[in-house]
Amino acid sequence: MQLARLIPTRPVVFLGQVLISAATAAAGRKQFRLKDLWRVTADCSARAVPIVSVVNLLVGAILAFVGAVQLVKFGAGIYVADLVGIAVAREMAAIITAVVMAGRTGAAFAAEIATMQSNEEVDALEVLGLHPVNFLVLPRVMALLAMMPLLYVYGCVTGLLGGMVVAGGMLDISPAAYLDRTLEALDWSHLGLGFAKSFVFGAMIGMVGSYFGLYAQRNAAGVGVATTSAVVTCIVAIIVIDAIFAICANALGI
Amino acid sequence: MALLAVEALEMRFGDRLIQTNVSFQIEKGTIFAIMGGSGCGKSTLLKHMIGLLHPASGHVLYNGIDYWQSDDETQSRLRAAFGMLFQSAALWSSMTILENICLPLEQLSTLDETQRETRAREVLEWVDLGKFADFYPSDLSGGMKKRAGLARAIATEPPLLFLDEPSAGLDPISSKRLDDLVLSIRERTGCAVVFVSHELPSLFAIADDGIFLDAESKSPIAHGSPRHLRDTATHPTVRAFLAREELPANTVIFSA
Repeated sequence: MQLARLIPTRPVVFLGQVLISAATAAAGRKQFRLKDLWRVTADCSARAVPIVSVVNLLVGAILAFVGAVQLVKFGAGIYVADLVGIAVAREMAAIITAVVMAGRTGAAFAAEIATMQSNEEVDALEVLGLHPVNFLVLPRVMALLAMMPLLYVYGCVTGLLGGMVVAGGMLDISPAAYLDRTLEALDWSHLGLGFAKSFVFGAMIGMVGSYFGLYAQRNAAGVGVATTSAVVTCIVAIIVIDAIFAICANALGI
Repeated sequence: MALLAVEALEMRFGDRLIQTNVSFQIEKGTIFAIMGGSGCGKSTLLKHMIGLLHPASGHVLYNGIDYWQSDDETQSRLRAAFGMLFQSAALWSSMTILENICLPLEQLSTLDETQRETRAREVLEWVDLGKFADFYPSDLSGGMKKRAGLARAIATEPPLLFLDEPSAGLDPISSKRLDDLVLSIRERTGCAVVFVSHELPSLFAIADDGIFLDAESKSPIAHGSPRHLRDTATHPTVRAFLAREELPANTVIFSA
């Protein structure tokens, strides 16, 4: 009884609504417009590629810098490829891409839906019998769920590229040797773990952004608060989820 | 049987009482005004009538069916019978004006895509926005948004139309144009109209009946057409509002 009181009701109800909405859509009774799904998907995929590329490229490069300086002391410079490859595939590409998407797309979802709320657009949907979770939230969650793993793969490639450039510049490691070493170090479990995380991060960012937008106060300040809360909550949740993944992966010996 | 009847409705936000003992009936083809000072609960009453807010007690009956006692299916069927123009027009900003009008038709009618578009273009012509079908709401002026919102509300030819401050923020010419439009819609479709307004010229020009909500007593204090109330009401707040007479000292105008 005491434990039940500690569980926040509204987010749990919202999660339930999203799951029911997804099940209803899967049963062929979707309420959103495909045009809206394409618009959101384009916004959180193709238009996000430049910033995801730049950030992951630099993270890969930074990891290589840090690794190269230490590893070269032991004559193990070539292992910078192992370090960058494993770190990027297991952790950094998924986390960094998720943080970028939280700041970019999660914030945009919160701001857009909060503005719709203050302009009575959400009320207008409800009067028509369209539930905002079905019409506004589900396409956003679906778009991020589908696009985050792709962005993760893209983040991996650009992260490895950043590492390769630094390894070539600092340690004279040829791209062929670097790639060979990376392929030897990486296995499917590393990639699978990062891939699984990116699904969870995608769903979480879509839901958190939409949640804060939908329950925003109906004024200009409310839009600002919703956006800030969405980004902060997403970033904290990314770290918490990543820690849970790390514990589970350790327990499973992945 | 009245098209819409509100019986002993009480509205609250948490513990805060907004209005109590609100009762009235609206017949087919009537234009009914909800009047009162700012913050007295006019728009809140409208939201209780269209299913957006749950009353603390009382009933809202459409053709004798209690909206708040009905199951989800009946509520959606009842909702299909009314159109709503929100105070801000509430056009969906990611859709063109044409798409804004097609969406209610998609939800509430059996028309196919081509028929929906034909019907949407027809109602846009009614409100003189035929050339703006492919514009986005952000490209329209305030008056045009209101007319587009009205076109969306009437697209399904509902027997009951709710308008929340349709003339708010419009210049007198646009406001008069909107009043004429409401009268012509009533004439064409025979629908009843419930509207919230502060605009005295609009109230006197189009309303056949109405109710006056008071912020001080938190209940209705007058019932009748705005013209009739202006000439015959004795309550000082009603007289101050409609006949612009001086209010007695210490009168509460705004709800606390």
